[in-house]
Amino acid sequence: MFDAVINNISYLMGGYWVTIKLAFFALAGGIPLGILVGLGRISSNKWVYYPVTFYVNVIRNIPLILVIFWFYFVMPIIIGSPLDPFPSAVISFIIFEATYFGEIIRAGYQSVSKGQIEAGYSTGLTYIQTTRYILIPIALRRMLPSMITQSIVTYQDTCLAFVIGLPELIRRATIVDTLEVRSIQLFGFVAIVFLITCYIGSMISRRFEVKAEEGG
Amino acid sequence: MIEIRNMSKWYGDFQVLKDINEEVKQGQTVVVCGPSGSGKSTLLRCINGLEPFQEGEIIVDGVSVGDSATDLYKLRTEIGMVFQRFELYPHMTALQNITLAPMKVRNKSKKEANAGAMGLLQRVGIPEKAYEYPANLSGGQQQRVAIARSLAMEPKIMMFDEPTSALDPEMIKEVLEVMINLSKSGMTMIVVTHEMGFAREVADEIIFMDEGSIIERGTDISFFQNPESPRTKDFLDKILI
Repeated sequence: MFDAVINNISYLMGGYWVTIKLAFFALAGGIPLGILVGLGRISSNKWVYYPVTFYVNVIRNIPLILVIFWFYFVMPIIIGSPLDPFPSAVISFIIFEATYFGEIIRAGYQSVSKGQIEAGYSTGLTYIQTTRYILIPIALRRMLPSMITQSIVTYQDTCLAFVIGLPELIRRATIVDTLEVRSIQLFGFVAIVFLITCYIGSMISRRFEVKAEEGG
Repeated sequence: MIEIRNMSKWYGDFQVLKDINEEVKQGQTVVVCGPSGSGKSTLLRCINGLEPFQEGEIIVDGVSVGDSATDLYKLRTEIGMVFQRFELYPHMTALQNITLAPMKVRNKSKKEANAGAMGLLQRVGIPEKAYEYPANLSGGQQQRVAIARSLAMEPKIMMFDEPTSALDPEMIKEVLEVMINLSKSGMTMIVVTHEMGFAREVADEIIFMDEGSIIERGTDISFFQNPESPRTKDFLDKILI
């Protein structure tokens, strides 16, 4: 029943490895950049705030697939030589996901009431102690579930890199399909791979959500 | 204990506090009342340096708050503050809320801090809630934990900013009882409140503020019976019903 999958399993899983690597680099770059974006969005320095806000608004209002396309086709013109699909996809994802992570971080920060910070100060805690023991733990708890959800979305979005010819899981399933013509089982297999992995991810997210609720 | 002399504060062009003069002696309880927006909360926040002021001076226990050389962090360890909306740290249990500052600021051991915190929870009447998170406590219980949190630093002064305004009526009493006991034990207190029953029972002085100025002060009964300004009379009529 899954003959086309079984016969090509190492080729397909090689594609899944590309998917994993892309998701890993997208998050490894997107989250740190997102932290900077989030800090920029709460900055009181207008030379930081306005450029960062402009960047966030532009990117968040463009479909991801366009960012991937645009970056892949425009960058060679700018830098003078063609980029490989993989680094091109990684950079597009980092640029795109950082805006989403940045907004999660901004919202998490803003969810901490000013009063809780002042309560810390009023007991004699210093700025660093208040940030360390009150602001960061509260903000982190509030944003962790959204961070995990956004990470899952990023992982699913890696599929879109197939439009620039990156041989990730879906791209390879398409290639096998043109040879074997077994669309239902091949794409069914892809769906199952994503279903299982994403489900595990959302279970983890839910655990943190429950924890965040218990601790306020 | 607290001396405020010719103190004024502006937010931009808007003057929120106008030439405030007030003295609070050790062991006294001063009640501050007045309509919202009259500058009561801002006054408290200037006393512990949460907000700066531009003119005059505030001396707390011999230390000038406005002096740029003053260590505000150290000053605040001597002044407890209780907020209208409790402002407990939601990720910590009641006990952890109380022990954070003693451990981090006073470098007390966990054991020592916990023992002190349990004593304070006993004092505010909810020792059984030590391991509960704020989300599982009623408003009155949260406010009592907040009072215990401030007391844990063994402050010389306690300030209360409308401590019962966010509470359901049946919970106001339990918080006021704690405050009355605290006042009777000799704590120096400044309390922004409209609970005139509390004021009658423990206030050594009542001051009435409007539009950033202290427009009336009295030592208790006289304040309620024959207010001098029509503005005070009008306000008292409204809150005393």
